[in-house]
Amino acid sequence: MSSATNDYSKTRAFLIDTTKCTGCRGCQVACKQWNQLKAEETSFFSGEGYQNPPSMSEHTFTRVKFKDYQKNGQNEFAFYKEMCMHCNEPACASVCPVGAFRKTAEGPVVYDAKRCIGCRFCMVACPFGVPKYEWSKAFPLVKKCTGCFSRLKAGLEPACATACPTAITYGSRAEMLKEAEKRIAARPDRYVKVVYGKEEAGGTSVLYLTHQPLDELGFKQVTKRSLPSYTWQALRLVPGIFLTVGGSLSLLSWFTHRKDRLKKEEEQRQASSHKAKEENQ
Amino acid sequence: MGISRRKFLQGGALAAAGVALTGKPGEAAVDAPELRTKGLKTTTTICPFCSVGCGLIVQTKDGRIVNTEGDPQHPINQGALCPKGGALFQIANNDRRLQKVMYRAPGSDRWEEKSWDWALERIAQRMKETRDKSFKAKELNKKDNNEYVVNRTDGMAFFGGAGLDNEECYLWTKFARAMGVGQLEHQARL
Amino acid sequence: MTNHWIDLKNSDVILAIGCNPAENHPISFKWIEKSMDAGGRLIAVDPRYTRTASKADIYAQIRPGTDIAFLGGLINYALQNGLIHEEYVREYTNATFIINEEFDFQDGMFCSFDDQEKSYDPKAWAYATGPDGKPLRDRSMKEPNCVYQLLKKHYSRYDVDKVCAITGTRREDYLKVAKAFCGTGRPDKAGTILYAMGITQSTHGSQNVRAVALLQMLLGNIGIAGGGVNALRGESNVQGSTDYGLLFHILPGYLKSPEFDNVDLKSYLEKWTPKTKDPRSANWWGNTPKYTVSLLKAWYGENATKENGFCYDYLPKRMGNYSYTKIIERMGQGGIEGLVCMGMNPAVGGPDSNNAREALGKLKWLVTVDLWETESSIFWKRPGVNPKDIQTEVFMLPAASSVEKEGSISNSGRWTQWRYKAVEPVGDSRSDLHIIDEFYKRVKALYAKEGGAFPEPITRLAWNYGNGHEPDVHLVAREINGYFTKDTTIKDKDKTLEFKAGDQVPMFKYLQDDGSTTSGCWIYCGSYTKEGNQMARRDSSDPTGLGLFPKWSWCWPVNRRIIYNRASVNPAGEPFNAKRPLIAWDALEKKWKGDVPDGPWPPMKDEKEGKYPFIMLAEGHGRLYALDMKDGPFPEHYEPVESPARNLLSPVQTNPVVKLPKNVSSDTGKFPYVGTTYRVTEHWQAGAMTRSLPWLVELVPDMFVELSETLARQKGIGNGDMVRVTTERGSIEAKALVTSRLKPFNVGGKQVEQVGMPWHFGYAGLATGDSGNVLTPTVGCANTGIPEFKAFLCNIEKGGRKG
Repeated sequence: MSSATNDYSKTRAFLIDTTKCTGCRGCQVACKQWNQLKAEETSFFSGEGYQNPPSMSEHTFTRVKFKDYQKNGQNEFAFYKEMCMHCNEPACASVCPVGAFRKTAEGPVVYDAKRCIGCRFCMVACPFGVPKYEWSKAFPLVKKCTGCFSRLKAGLEPACATACPTAITYGSRAEMLKEAEKRIAARPDRYVKVVYGKEEAGGTSVLYLTHQPLDELGFKQVTKRSLPSYTWQALRLVPGIFLTVGGSLSLLSWFTHRKDRLKKEEEQRQASSHKAKEENQ
Repeated sequence: MGISRRKFLQGGALAAAGVALTGKPGEAAVDAPELRTKGLKTTTTICPFCSVGCGLIVQTKDGRIVNTEGDPQHPINQGALCPKGGALFQIANNDRRLQKVMYRAPGSDRWEEKSWDWALERIAQRMKETRDKSFKAKELNKKDNNEYVVNRTDGMAFFGGAGLDNEECYLWTKFARAMGVGQLEHQARL
Repeated sequence: MTNHWIDLKNSDVILAIGCNPAENHPISFKWIEKSMDAGGRLIAVDPRYTRTASKADIYAQIRPGTDIAFLGGLINYALQNGLIHEEYVREYTNATFIINEEFDFQDGMFCSFDDQEKSYDPKAWAYATGPDGKPLRDRSMKEPNCVYQLLKKHYSRYDVDKVCAITGTRREDYLKVAKAFCGTGRPDKAGTILYAMGITQSTHGSQNVRAVALLQMLLGNIGIAGGGVNALRGESNVQGSTDYGLLFHILPGYLKSPEFDNVDLKSYLEKWTPKTKDPRSANWWGNTPKYTVSLLKAWYGENATKENGFCYDYLPKRMGNYSYTKIIERMGQGGIEGLVCMGMNPAVGGPDSNNAREALGKLKWLVTVDLWETESSIFWKRPGVNPKDIQTEVFMLPAASSVEKEGSISNSGRWTQWRYKAVEPVGDSRSDLHIIDEFYKRVKALYAKEGGAFPEPITRLAWNYGNGHEPDVHLVAREINGYFTKDTTIKDKDKTLEFKAGDQVPMFKYLQDDGSTTSGCWIYCGSYTKEGNQMARRDSSDPTGLGLFPKWSWCWPVNRRIIYNRASVNPAGEPFNAKRPLIAWDALEKKWKGDVPDGPWPPMKDEKEGKYPFIMLAEGHGRLYALDMKDGPFPEHYEPVESPARNLLSPVQTNPVVKLPKNVSSDTGKFPYVGTTYRVTEHWQAGAMTRSLPWLVELVPDMFVELSETLARQKGIGNGDMVRVTTERGSIEAKALVTSRLKPFNVGGKQVEQVGMPWHFGYAGLATGDSGNVLTPTVGCANTGIPEFKAFLCNIEKGGRKG
């Protein structure tokens, strides 16, 4: 399975132009409000600038990370909204043993909490570290951004995209990619010539433009192949291997135990004929 | 002979492999959850924080505000909101909101709950007492040693408020000047 | 603002000085970035590299309190390099006016300073007038005593090197700013200046604003789309509250509150109504009698008659300065018995918080009206005091929030927007409208029953807002707009208008001085007319494409979206910039197209009926040279009262008109660092409205101070360490945020460090912390009294009692 065979151009996607982000966190609070998520207990700041809380969690589906450093005597004060990337080929969906995740045609990768068994395979599989565990609950499940799927179905945009006054544009993936390339071409001195999310993990629904180099801002280096395509290499062989190896081993077992079986049958036959002989005397 | 445990496990594994093979990976039968604000009563408001004057829509259910977000039709913010406006929900729904009239007696270390009537009656008395005591009909101007009619209540000051509606500001100013209050100030001075 | 928020998209260069819109007006960045998307440039001038600076094309560091040096340098740069908009300056400003021969400026002082009183006599700065009483003018602008030449001479002292030595700005950064911003002097370019508390909160705050306006007039940026002098105000309705006169020195609509020697209505109007002999000057304040009488009729109704001076005598007359800090001072001396705080928090919001909290303890009674417990309402049990020692009786009334009542508020762009009630007030809380109504009715009843000191101003007040639980807000709004008290016929040019008693007045030009009209606030006349509540309109059409949105809500005056817009065209009525025509004279139809023109008269060139564009000034011309400021006709740089530097421009160290209080100190041995206060996006003002909201507390949970990496190293302070900051007023503790965004200032070759902090915190609410204003000085602007919160001296040490 590869993304080359599926067309994601019409799925809805976010274009987050970090050069336009002022780090206001309107998106972070809008998400809390829409999803009615709890505020976390925080202290001082957790990271650079005014960053809070320390990481995404069951209560925080999106978070603005601050970068506050100097380079060549120039201040760099930049803001990076981390969120679920709503991958085209989501690793979480691929590894989930109960099929709780689903990539919708509209774009968001949604999940059904009723199916979740809290095994956390998705947390291990996601290259962006997105799904978070409900450590606070007695029967914990995994939580993440829903892409505001219900809002999309009602003709609205996600809460964070709606709240953002500057940096987030929302539209079809094809349009967002086109817009991203357009901006890079129009202002080559303003942008790093990469659209993060275009190819990462096989392509995601969240695309980023930056001014500073990606590693300076803390973007994870992620393979350009879709994650399921890696495991698919191995996974697609499993049934075959299972059947072949299992079948061969069963056959071998049948053969190796055949002698014993025949011996047993022989012993039983001897035992019963011996008995018959005794009864006949 | 019944199914041995080994056979059962083998069968289960086969079945799981079967599920993994057939159908698309991770297909869950999820219907789109319904928009939580569908069909709710909606009013518009203007943000109470800074002076950009962003528009918000407020949605209520059973007399409670259940959703606040940016008004997409407002020309200034077009649905956008900073974190303060975005948190308007928590002004409307908050245990720390004052809900009762409280009174602190002189020298006391605690609040006592009172009725509106009780408090307003006493406040009116205080206002009148202070006005009667400190009202200056005339005042001497030291520079020319003349007395002038000033009709001013010097013992009372009114503060506030940049968070009041215009109509409230108007009545506040009207009342203050009728009371002879010259010491009328608010946040604009700071 | 002279302009409005959406108009920012029309700017070619945006200068944000003494403000931080990305953090304190975040949604404004939508429009700032639209300008930048179209090729506009953003300049951020700030002591720190803020979230605004992070988006700016040019960032220039400035030492707090040196804005006049910075702006004066730009004025000089524009003049020296021929970058001014010459036609605009000559035709629309008082550049050509000649000043009387006695005027002088020497060694940092203007003429006519009284050393005893520590004040100037502004009469010494008057225009030279001819025998006809009109100011003398020199259209060639060459006469040595004409404003233009005096201006050039004054600012010739503000050369780039001197300016940068004062402000600490790097020369190459300053030149970048100068080139970019002064480039908007071209008629086809628009530059806007955004400013806020960094400009106003100074002992020369008003002169800072004057410098902004002066520069903008030279560049021809006032009255045009994308231009203007744009204050980013701090609260949702501080514009409205100011419009309605909630300050000691004004009445609604910026009428002056009467002084003791305005003995009757006649002499009040005589003193405060400006006059002009020039028929081409609209002199709009010449209508003062109409607005004053209409206000008095709104207040005293039928009781206000021509015979009794419309009850003018009932108004309190001031003798002295009753500004906020003076009130706190009197309170501290036991001179005030009772205080009503209607949504205000003096225990956190004013300077020298410890002193303010002590002062509250001297009150006999205090009434607070808020949504939450505040530091002011619980001052009597604050940390460190014994309630037994405080005898103040406190009534804490629960107020309804903005979504629990109906009414209008006015944003910074003068847009007055109606908002609606979504739910009933929580618990037993009630709207301020109800509370004020109760105060009035009960006091009136007591006076009616018992009599007392001069009850008439109260018992004869007109107060007719229905019989509901609270006043009908629509009746209040209608009174504010005003209506005719009797059938009236008005001739307006070739039209004859008939009005019936009770009809809403359609616009303030129809207000009368004979008692036939009422209006609670003349600038809001037109907001609630026969056609209905204009403030509630939601039509988002934008016919000019300039973002005026003429039918969305309503703005004062008369829905004019950009004021002084007659200066956006040349004297013939043609737009200076054909690409952004704000108004244009249609010679065929004989009317203006576009925004509501700042007066319907034909263009200035029209000999018979043309008028000058600056209609609110008696001479109709923008004042490069001011006539009535307390501290001088031209802004002049002085150091803040607490400063690490000698004034490099003149031997006068601080504003000579400002009296220094006892508790200020420029002892850099004790207090080596420049201190400043500011705001963050996530909290608001004194914090009551945000520090109890969990989603905001999550973002910024604690009080903190910011300091540079070099100062941190020097003091052994690590990020997150507890520190103690001290000034002559007091000391606070907070966690330290070490950042490269704060850098020391270059002061006369020495590096002087800065310590900055938000002032949002206090001991009440969910998230608590020490208040920044414990540190700030009670000394303020010579003209307005606004405290110098932005520049003081402090010390910082690692460690604190709270550990």
